[in-house]
Amino acid sequence: MIEIALLAVAVLVILLTLGVPLPYCFGAGLMVMYFIGDVVMKGNILWGFQQLGNPVLLAIPLFVLAGTIMSVSGIAASLLRFVNIFVGHLRGGLGVVATISCALIGAISGSGLTGVAAIGPLLIPEMEKQGYPREYATALIANSSLLGLLIPPSVTMIVYGWVTDTSILACFLATLGPGLLIMFNFSMVNIHMAKKFALKLEDRPRGPDFIAEVSKRGFKATPALLMPVIILGGIYGGVMTPTEAAAVAVIYAIPVGFLIYKGLNLRTFLGASKEASTAVGAIMLMILFSMILSQMFVLEGIPQELVEAIFSITEDKAILLILINFLLFFVGMVVNDVTAIILIAPLLLPLMEAIGVSPIQFAAIMGVNTAMGGVTPPYASILYLGARIGKVKVTKVIRPAMILIVTGYLPVVILTSYWDNLSLFLPRYFGY
Amino acid sequence: MNRVASYLLTGLICLVAGGQFIQVITRYVLEIPVMGLEETLLYPTLWLYVLGAVNASRENTHIRANVLEIFLKTTKQATILAIVGEVISITVGLWLTWWAWDFTKYSLRVWKESPTLYLPTFYMDMALFVGLVLMMIYTFTHLIKHIRQLSDPEKPIDD
Amino acid sequence: KRLKISHIRPQGTTIDLELKDFAGEVKKASDGDLKMRIFAASALGDYTTVQERVSVGAVDMAVQPAATAASRRMQITAFPYVAENWKQAKSIYGPGGAIYDAMKGLYAKQDITMLAAYPVYFGGVALNREAIAPGDPTVEKGIKVRVPGIKSFQLEGSSLGYISAPIPFSEAFTAVQTGVVDGVIGSGAEGYYASFRDVTKTYIPLNTHFEVWYMIVNTETLNDLDKKDRAVLVKAATNFETKRWTTAEADQAANEKRLADNGATIIKLTDEQLAATAKKVRAEVWPVILKDVGEEWGKKILSQVAP
Ligand code: NA
Ligand code: NA
Repeated sequence: MIEIALLAVAVLVILLTLGVPLPYCFGAGLMVMYFIGDVVMKGNILWGFQQLGNPVLLAIPLFVLAGTIMSVSGIAASLLRFVNIFVGHLRGGLGVVATISCALIGAISGSGLTGVAAIGPLLIPEMEKQGYPREYATALIANSSLLGLLIPPSVTMIVYGWVTDTSILACFLATLGPGLLIMFNFSMVNIHMAKKFALKLEDRPRGPDFIAEVSKRGFKATPALLMPVIILGGIYGGVMTPTEAAAVAVIYAIPVGFLIYKGLNLRTFLGASKEASTAVGAIMLMILFSMILSQMFVLEGIPQELVEAIFSITEDKAILLILINFLLFFVGMVVNDVTAIILIAPLLLPLMEAIGVSPIQFAAIMGVNTAMGGVTPPYASILYLGARIGKVKVTKVIRPAMILIVTGYLPVVILTSYWDNLSLFLPRYFGY
Repeated sequence: MNRVASYLLTGLICLVAGGQFIQVITRYVLEIPVMGLEETLLYPTLWLYVLGAVNASRENTHIRANVLEIFLKTTKQATILAIVGEVISITVGLWLTWWAWDFTKYSLRVWKESPTLYLPTFYMDMALFVGLVLMMIYTFTHLIKHIRQLSDPEKPIDD
Repeated sequence: KRLKISHIRPQGTTIDLELKDFAGEVKKASDGDLKMRIFAASALGDYTTVQERVSVGAVDMAVQPAATAASRRMQITAFPYVAENWKQAKSIYGPGGAIYDAMKGLYAKQDITMLAAYPVYFGGVALNREAIAPGDPTVEKGIKVRVPGIKSFQLEGSSLGYISAPIPFSEAFTAVQTGVVDGVIGSGAEGYYASFRDVTKTYIPLNTHFEVWYMIVNTETLNDLDKKDRAVLVKAATNFETKRWTTAEADQAANEKRLADNGATIIKLTDEQLAATAKKVRAEVWPVILKDVGEEWGKKILSQVAP
């Protein structure tokens, strides 16, 4: 049976390469299982559709919508100006501003693309004006944008918690440490890189002027900075479930966007909700069919077969973790974050538990790897989106993106795998 | 069509967000239970997912990995690739639609009800079939457009 | 032939081990013809979905609570305060009992054959705080408890003096842990130990309802088996059921002890308190649900059991 499962995956990857929309790629995988593997299809649509009704998943559209509203309403700009006053005047400061702003946006949005969509149009021209190469600025912001998947709330962690039956709150905390470390890495790398660019630096107001400017920009940024407080405080403070928090985020963002930041009007609001709904519809349809394919694998006992096959090669934990990271890297190259988790988490979780890696640490391992997948070609959705926003050729951003992946992501991927405290400290501290 | 999609999707997603918001208010602030809100919200939620996906088909913005496209030199090659992709999508899509129809028939026959308000679940179960049919229609129009483009290369690409 | 059988608890729990024994017995008695593949922890979906999958034949068998989506009448098995003690429970929910036969008939209409009724526990209330007037249902306690999305439990929660908060099972643990709600209704010592032990500070065995899981099989799958294998399966199911009726009560006590060992306070109530609670809930909840399931049909069954 494992051969047919592999064939299904092979067909899936081929269609993907051809540019067939993902839901149909999974549909083709199902066809392989059904026609060649003789697996029952009856009742599977029923099962999959009922899975979509799980309220946990409802957090996805709502967090995506909250992020979209935020990015059109001008909240991003106020956050950016606020961060800028502290580090903008330093050499390489504007790149650090980009990274930290993406992380802050990430604390509002659940997806990896809000950062690049909201920060990119504002900061890429600004950085270029200051002397950063345009393709470097684009690569930096695209890479940082994926912090949205590591700083809670996070769509990938919601999906991971859902498919593996792990506490979503614990998963949120598990990726926070690695996320902050990646943010730190990007900042350091940027400061180093900036030495090579001929940068024109801004002056920062001093003394009382500085204080006045901080309070002015801080005041404007407050409604935006309050949002993660409301979301995370509400969830961890026992007021609401993550799904409800996502709804509250939307309800909060609408008046703030309309009345305080004024970037939101009826036209942009309708546009934002249509865009968010469409993105979510596409994700959900993909989730539906990838869930069914994954369930077929489970029904046929593929995870157990896989664990046995892998154990027949080696039982050494350190080597297995290397192999798994390689696997996740390749998976991240070809599919998007949510799909990678739906397909891989149920397959590998039994293996992880067998070698003594907790589901929460595995959440962080998958979280970091799938976030990185957003910028690793050939399927690098966030990088391509960044290239479109930054108006640079995809082939040009790949080089600077690679430098950032190797220096920013890779060390954290390794650390997350081999040093469990990085991901487990916070969940343990909060009693998970 | 674009306006209809905007209003419909906005309405659905606001309904869903509003419903969840009410859930928090009634439980946390007013401390009274609202029975059956959760199951009622399922209807707009599932229709939102399905119609969102239909709109992605209409706008041709489904998630895909345009790996080969980066290496293609001419628009003609890109058009051929698009046609291949659409033919595959339709083949697989029709098979899935058939199974969605099977599910819809089942749902009609069994006529399930939600647990507290006894709302018939058929009205959300049918969403998938309806959605897939619409998606197939849109994919088919994209296919026609691309075939025309191939026979008339002067015609500019409009999507 | 290999049959897929689903249940709702993690690997290594009582039901999981009992099903492994069951599978072993079936395999041995059928000379290896009939094997089982056990899917633990709702790996094939929650019990509502699994029941539908059994109904259409996508999953062969399951041991789980009855899902009421396709038939409101199945709520009869989760009616609060139908049985007061284990002896009554066996005569009502055990082989030949009124609810046993009613459920068998209801399953049959969904192309499902009920092979056995598996008594689990008398339900109770688990709190992540200390209790308020645990034996007095007339006191409004101001405590929010999560209730499952089943009407009788939602009504019962309020009738017991709690604030019912319908929260889906998938979010329930987190909700209790963070304090979105202060407790849970709808399960018993075994269920709370399995899923909520780290957040249970108080357990009140209020005998809220009698939890029964049913061993079900797709009727067509069963009929397609050859005669010998079918007999083997039915016989093993009967053994599985018979054995459970002898161990269930002790198992419930063992699970209460596990909760206590894990740090929970178990609040024992007097017979008078239990009787008063039963009376109030019956008076308030039964009429509403009876209307939903059809008064005539429901009363006919309850008249055979009501003390
Ligand atoms: Na985030
Ligand atoms: Na990638």
